[in-house]
Parts: sequence; structure tokens; C-alpha cells
Amino acid sequence: MGAALTRYRVIAWIVGVVLILLVVVGMPLKYAFDNPVVVETVGPAHGFLYMIYLVAAFDLSRRADWPLKRMLLVMLAGTVPFVSFYAERRVTAWLDRPVTRTPEPVAS
Amino acid sequence: MPTPGDAKPSRPRGSYDTVSETAAVPGTLDAMRWLWTPAWIARHVAMVVLVVGFLGLGWWQISRAAAGNSLSWGYAVEWPIFAGFVVYVWWREVRLARRNAEGAAEPAADPADAPTVEPPPAATIGARPAVRRPVRVARVPVDGVPGDDTDLAAYNDYLSWLNANPGARPGDYPG
Repeated sequence: MGAALTRYRVIAWIVGVVLILLVVVGMPLKYAFDNPVVVETVGPAHGFLYMIYLVAAFDLSRRADWPLKRMLLVMLAGTVPFVSFYAERRVTAWLDRPVTRTPEPVAS
Repeated sequence: MPTPGDAKPSRPRGSYDTVSETAAVPGTLDAMRWLWTPAWIARHVAMVVLVVGFLGLGWWQISRAAAGNSLSWGYAVEWPIFAGFVVYVWWREVRLARRNAEGAAEPAADPADAPTVEPPPAATIGARPAVRRPVRVARVPVDGVPGDDTDLAAYNDYLSWLNANPGARPGDYPG
């Protein structure tokens, strides 16, 4: 669970940053200043990164036994600028409970 | 656990389903009927709509790419992959539901045998313990306290004495 959550958080953060880069920087550059270089490079890259995000979210949802609806919501949240960060925090709050490691007597 | 005098058949909580009711032969259409509930029809329809939509978007990008928009080649590759992912998620969902249904249909012999730490949400697992991941439990040894070992040895002696004298009470222990 811990490793799957970490994978999800890393790729969620990357996808979120790239998406904001695309929407906040790339699109104004392309449509207002007629300079499509950012959109051309970051656009397709975001698509492939989002695929990794989907796989990580799917993997995490299976391990956490989420219902289908929650899994789809988390996947969709990755497509909305800024919301993806909120989703990542929500998911982390759901899953990242501190593991209570109570000492256990071991007869060795 | 059902009491012996219980008239009602015991059933895993919250997992009453038609799958375990109908004695349909596996592999027949009758056995697949549970895929034809309204919730499942909605999922099938959503899957088909998404796949057709994604493939349509891919085709649109191909036509744009053919018209000279080189950026569209990337998207033309991505949309069919997303469509394939939708099919994959749909198939995994069907398989998971089928597994849970099978587990509910033939309850596990002993609940203590279920090799999981977390209780399954809807249906029981059972029937297929082989597909579950092995559970790794973090064991934190107690810090070595001097004197522990003699206590432990004495307790083990006591236990073996109890085991050797089944009818004895703890007060009879001579040690």
C-alpha cells in the first residue's frame, strides 16, 4: 500500500504540474501570442504522463479496495487543473494512516 | 456463526446476490445473468460510449494529422490507448465481481483460514486464497530486557506441564 500510494502521489504531482504548465502557460502563449511551442512539446507529453497516472490510480484503487465510482472520480480529477492536487491530498488522507507498530513479544 | 437451532441458512453479511441463488451451470448464459442488472448495464453502456468516443477522437486526430497538423500524431496514438484502458478497467471490474460472487457462492470452510488482514468489503473471499498476495506483517521485536529469557523459560515449562497433564488445574502446578 505504501509504495503504491507513493507512486500515485509522485505521478499525480507531475501530471498536475504539467497540466498547469499546459493551461496557464502554454495555452495563453499559443492563442494570445501565437507561439505554440509549449503546447506542442508539453501537450503530447502530458497525454502519456496521464496514462501513467491512470495506471497508478488503478493500481492503488485495487490495493485499497475502492469502489469503482471512487476510482473513476480520482482518475477524472487528474484531468482538471488544480483539482488534481486536491485529489492527491484527499487520497493521501484516506490511505496514509500512520501504521501503529506496537511492539510484539517475539519468542526467538 | 449460526447457532445449531437456527432455521435460517447462514449467509455472508451484505452479500446476498442472485448468483448464489441460481444454480446455473458455469459458462452458460444463465451464469452470466448477473451481468445484466441495471447497474451493470450502465457500466457496459458507459464502457461502449467511452470506447467509441475515444476512438472517434483518435480518428479525428488522425484526420487532423493527415491534414498537416503534426502535433496531432501524438494525440492520434494516445486516444486509442485510452480506449483500450477503458476496456481493461471494465474487464477487470467484471472479473473482480465474478470472483467475489464465486467466493460468496461457496463460502470458505473456515473464516480463520482467510489469509487476509483487512476484511473484504462486500463479499467474502475464500475459494481462491492462491490469488491473494502474501501478507507481510511488520514485527517489531521488544527491546531485549534482561530477565526476560528466564521468565519465558519458566512460562514455557508451565505450559508444557499443563499440556502433559490435561486434567490439571493451574493451581496444581508444582513448579
